[in-house]
Amino acid sequence: MAELTKNKKAASVTFENVTKIYGGDVRAVDNISLSIEPGKLVTLLGPSGCGKTTTLRMIAGLEMATEGKILIGDQDVSMLPATDRDVSMVFQSYALFPHMTVLENVSYGLKYSGFDKDETRSRALAGLDLVGLNGFDGRLPSELSGGQQQRVAVARALVLEPQVLLFDEPLSNLDAKLRRQVRQDIRDIQQNLGLTVVYVTHDQEEALAVSDRIIVMRNAAIAQEGTPRELYEAPVDRFVADFIGEANLIHCQIDSVSGETAEISIGKMKHTLRSRGMQPGPATVAVRPGRVALSSPATSNSVPAKILKSTFVGNHMEYVVDTGFGVIFAMSEAVETPFDTGQDVGLSFAKSGPVLLLAE
Amino acid sequence: MPTITSENTTHPTLIFWIIVGWVGFLLVPWYGIEDGFFTFEWLSDGYPTDSDYAPGAFLIGQGKKLWLAPLLLPLIASLFALGRAKSDPLFAKILISAGVFGFCWLLMQGFSIGLRGWQFGWLEALFGPLNDRQFGMGYGAMFLASAFLFMFTQGIAARGAINGDVFVVSAISLVVTIVTVFVFFPIARLLIAAFITEEGKYSISIFADKFFDDRIWGIQCLTSGIKCGVAWNSLFLALLVGVITTVLGLTFALVVTRSRFKYKRNLRALTVLPIITPPFVIGLALILLFGQSGTVTVFFAELLGIQPTRWMYGLPGLLIAQTLAFTPIAFLVLIGVVEGVSPSMEEAAQTLRASKWEVFRTVSLPLMRPGLANAFLLGFIESMADFGNPLVLGGNYDVLSTDIFFAIVGAQYDQGRAAVLAMVLLTFTLGAFYAQRFWLGNKSYTSVSGKGDAGVHPMMPRRLAYPVYTIAAIWVSFTIVVYLMILAGSFVEIWGINNTITIKHYLTAFSINFEETGVRRWTGSAWGSFFTTLKIAAIAAPLTAALGLVTAYLLTRQDFRGKNAFEFGTMLSFAIPGTVIGVSYILAFNVPPIELTGTGIILVISFIFRNMPVGVRAGIASMSQLDKSLDEASLTLGANSWQTFRRVILPLLRPAILAALVYSFVRAMTAISAVIFLVSAEYNMATAYIIGRVENNDYGLAIAYSTTLIVVMLSAVGLLQFLVGRTKIGRRSSFGPTAV
Amino acid sequence: MKNVSLLASSAVVALAASASVSFAEGKVTLYCSAQEDWCQLMARGFEEETGTKVNMTRKSSGETFAQIKAEASNPKGDVWWGGTGDPHLQAAEEGLTAAYVSPMRGELNDWAISQATSANDKTIGIYSGALGYGYNTELLAAAGLPEPQCWKDLLKPEFKGHVQMANPNSSGTAYTTLATIVQLFGEDEGFEFMKSLHANINQYTKSGSAPIKAAARGENTIGIVFMHDAVKQAVSGFPIKVVAPCEGTGFEIGSMSIIEGGRNPENAQAFYDWALTADVQSMALEVKAFQVPSNKGAETSPSAPDLASIKLIDYDFALYGSSAERKRLLQKWDEEVSILPQ
Repeated sequence: MAELTKNKKAASVTFENVTKIYGGDVRAVDNISLSIEPGKLVTLLGPSGCGKTTTLRMIAGLEMATEGKILIGDQDVSMLPATDRDVSMVFQSYALFPHMTVLENVSYGLKYSGFDKDETRSRALAGLDLVGLNGFDGRLPSELSGGQQQRVAVARALVLEPQVLLFDEPLSNLDAKLRRQVRQDIRDIQQNLGLTVVYVTHDQEEALAVSDRIIVMRNAAIAQEGTPRELYEAPVDRFVADFIGEANLIHCQIDSVSGETAEISIGKMKHTLRSRGMQPGPATVAVRPGRVALSSPATSNSVPAKILKSTFVGNHMEYVVDTGFGVIFAMSEAVETPFDTGQDVGLSFAKSGPVLLLAE
Repeated sequence: MPTITSENTTHPTLIFWIIVGWVGFLLVPWYGIEDGFFTFEWLSDGYPTDSDYAPGAFLIGQGKKLWLAPLLLPLIASLFALGRAKSDPLFAKILISAGVFGFCWLLMQGFSIGLRGWQFGWLEALFGPLNDRQFGMGYGAMFLASAFLFMFTQGIAARGAINGDVFVVSAISLVVTIVTVFVFFPIARLLIAAFITEEGKYSISIFADKFFDDRIWGIQCLTSGIKCGVAWNSLFLALLVGVITTVLGLTFALVVTRSRFKYKRNLRALTVLPIITPPFVIGLALILLFGQSGTVTVFFAELLGIQPTRWMYGLPGLLIAQTLAFTPIAFLVLIGVVEGVSPSMEEAAQTLRASKWEVFRTVSLPLMRPGLANAFLLGFIESMADFGNPLVLGGNYDVLSTDIFFAIVGAQYDQGRAAVLAMVLLTFTLGAFYAQRFWLGNKSYTSVSGKGDAGVHPMMPRRLAYPVYTIAAIWVSFTIVVYLMILAGSFVEIWGINNTITIKHYLTAFSINFEETGVRRWTGSAWGSFFTTLKIAAIAAPLTAALGLVTAYLLTRQDFRGKNAFEFGTMLSFAIPGTVIGVSYILAFNVPPIELTGTGIILVISFIFRNMPVGVRAGIASMSQLDKSLDEASLTLGANSWQTFRRVILPLLRPAILAALVYSFVRAMTAISAVIFLVSAEYNMATAYIIGRVENNDYGLAIAYSTTLIVVMLSAVGLLQFLVGRTKIGRRSSFGPTAV
Repeated sequence: MKNVSLLASSAVVALAASASVSFAEGKVTLYCSAQEDWCQLMARGFEEETGTKVNMTRKSSGETFAQIKAEASNPKGDVWWGGTGDPHLQAAEEGLTAAYVSPMRGELNDWAISQATSANDKTIGIYSGALGYGYNTELLAAAGLPEPQCWKDLLKPEFKGHVQMANPNSSGTAYTTLATIVQLFGEDEGFEFMKSLHANINQYTKSGSAPIKAAARGENTIGIVFMHDAVKQAVSGFPIKVVAPCEGTGFEIGSMSIIEGGRNPENAQAFYDWALTADVQSMALEVKAFQVPSNKGAETSPSAPDLASIKLIDYDFALYGSSAERKRLLQKWDEEVSILPQ
């Protein structure tokens, strides 16, 4: 039986000023440039309608760029139809051919890639083996569970050992538990085989969990690109801050800037953080709810605040807190010693808590 | 693993078409073979030097038909595209210019030079008289035309049209080309004929004279005993038939879906019968029942002590016959609509305290509106286009379809008048088509969401049920009587005169002699047309289905500029009555460059384009239920669009394929209006043969033949049903079948 | 794709079946304007005798003329057999048919040859039949109507709604009727006759013999047709009585022409000669065709109307067969007669 080995063909994907216009005036993707390294899993993340699926489909060749250049590896594929690109895709609906068995589905692409019968069969079986569907080869898709269908779809795309493998919201039809497991499986396979994967989702948690890099998209353009941690810890703007995890957005004043660091004041509170190239003046900081510290009143460098609402959600507490500079959402692991609604507290931010958002 | 092909410099498809082009130019006869498309006597009969059979290259070599020489240029040019990468701009440029130039030159020379040299006076003025002529195009021209067409499509595909998809670009171009050639070109030819004077000049006034003729638009009948214009006659009849068939169709649909009637299946079967009944048969049966000496007429005349009259000839007879024939079509459209009204809406209305009658009136009926509009449209168009019934029962009530026929075949032989009448008819049907589309617009009344709807349709309210049952019962018994008459009529000597039971009509038509030597001879007089009909229908059906489904695929699955115009073009032939098609085909295809009259091919082609819209509609309906990601999955897995179409889409479309196959087969066997113009000595069709028998007062034979055809079609449908498990003849798209 | 292969295989069967018929060398395309079974008889008879394949289409003479005219630039037919003489003459006049002098001429009646000479040998008479009418005896009796004897009897008011004739615009028979009436009564009185007749007509049929067929079926009382058509219905067992009008009547000469520029001229001539032989013309009786054959030696039926005993007018085929006169009369009929209320 053939073994699926480390993919030596994994290729980079490059967009150079790519624009896609539908029907003359709708800009689905507006002048995007991006670069995806070979062997990495990159997620396109964004709300619906942001252009992430269109971007994915342009990589696949299912849509043609209106302007700009798309390269896979070193090759310009801008004008190449899907058939001729060495790319395969896992669809949101799986798109398993209902009239073919599991094995026929998985063999489908192999047949058009010029493998002989035996090779096709052994590769297809190896693919099924890889996704843990040994012995299901004779079934029809309608005889499988949702999770199994999903894995068939993955196997069907995988066996072609494509230069780039695309996932279009592959987990959206699975329940929460299964989703966690399958996304880990996908990540494992990707890393073991060294595949270039482009992954589309609107679920930020999923994106953070699987990606080497994340590209956040908004309104047909790229809002920010970076590793999951970079995005989480240093969102460039309100949109990204809010979209990747929750964030309190607080007005502040940049008092002074010296090199890489800046002094800001939020109400009476002072804070030192990375300046990110900002100049003194009014600005906005983003603070993750978990980086908000609540203590008894009048702790040093804290401001007085009042608990408006206190909610127990199992492994942590959630508070809505009224401060002099607005209402703040906070989370605390201290389940044993909760604050009560109406209680006066002192509120401060962790050292690395606030992040300056770039001017919008 | 697939190699990325953009840098690839061998293009098997292109090589294929270039070879086809060269073969067309160098090897096969350029002009049409007089003995028929599929005869190959030319191989041993003077080929390749005999100028009748010579390939284009040989003709030029002999110094003849020199106007074909420029075709060599694009052929040579295309060779330079070989060895170039698809992404090379020159590749596309070469192919596009070679294709366009070659195709256009082919057309221009074809239309410019005909049987008598130059076709247009100004050409003769320009170049002087041409002492040569040419016949219709043959294999060579056809090969070359296809080669140029597909060179062009590969060129524009390489430029990135439709995602660079060669199959899709080629399919679109092919459909556009053949629809242009076989729908738009003949219609244009017909319209032009309306402006030609007897001297062969063009004139607006001759058109105006013919168009504003009192025989077409007169309204004297309102005030005096003079007949009204045929246009009004046709319009009035069609409106009546549209309304009546819609009401009756709704009646049956209600009985089948909202009553506890036990024999619903039989009712459904009964409604299929008229669809597979050849024309005239119903008319003949009606004569035997309601004619001056018809059973019913005589019975009532004796009862009332009056003279039997010819009351049925004219409007009454036409109404009865057309209603009988076209109600099933309305029924088949409406049953889907009536079933489609979501029960939960009706249940919601009931819980809001509406009575059953109020629910029906305020919720169910308005939701059925699109279906009612469709049913009416179909009845209207079918009636407008009906040819057989007016011929037999029309009396002095002239209608457009028969008048067109007699304008052409009558002693006056007035092509212009036929063209004008055809224009009027076409205006009515297209007008109805557009009025309906405009009225429905984009309103969606669809209440079936695909989600499980647990509700049950309520029974009909009582005050609706009684009239509905009564009408249905009368109608069913009437239909049964008519068909019993038909069956009986084929087994008696002369109906009403000599009622001896006999099978002589069947013997006359279908006898077989077994000679001593064992040689079978098909001595029956009907065998020739019977075999021709089967052959033509069997060839036309799969082609119709294929073309319809490919078109449906393009319409549902591909986006391209001009898609709306494309859809209009493919649906146009639906609104064109058969007589108009027949006349226009004669005008367009009797002379070079495309010479098809007298062949079986013209019949096949006319059937394909008459019935294609139904295949398109059936295909669209099924294809829109297939998730588009199936195709995309296949494409990203490395299959091309053709492989995707064949391996993924087609297998999932079996019901639509079956529907299209059955429909086009049945229509090809029962059509008459276009056929009557296109049959020839060698290719006579059953319906044309039957019309001859009817003309000859030979009702017995006509009915016997028709009965045989009904049985043949029933078995064909049954066989297909058996093979696929469930008959789909009833499944019609929202636009339903075309006119006869 | 079982369905497709099924259809395909049935197509193959059909092809094979039709192929088994075409054993002959050579062929001839016959446009036939006589009744179907007679046409069949002629086609099969010639095939059997000569081995030449006959492609026969039956269409009325008007339809055939239209077709030959439409195909003039590219003729598909070879020989046109049967049908009333006018369209044949018209075709000759328009150069659609070719001149041919058959060796069989010596055996023919004079009227057949005079038809040929008036058309420069481009057509020839093959049979002849007189115009008249027939009525359904049962319906006539039931309606209590007198038995008509003459043309003018048909104008009586009690026949209102009982008379049928074809539309002269679409039928050669009806045109012959119009031309006969005009020749019999003079043009003015003739048109007065047509106007009065118009009031009694219940339907102008499209085809020439339809009126008598309707009468045979009991769908009409009196039909103005060629007498041999009426005789045929009577012989077939219908209650039809044939009338030769007392004032005299016109007649047709059923004709045959070779189509100019046809593709098989030799076979066309062979058929032409063959169709003029006595034996072949005698075969008409097998299919109840009661026209008078043009070959003097051919058998006639006792049921056939005896032309000798009928008062025949001196029908001017040259004049009334010409396009111009035809067009003029038809237009006049259209404008003065057909638009009148009934």
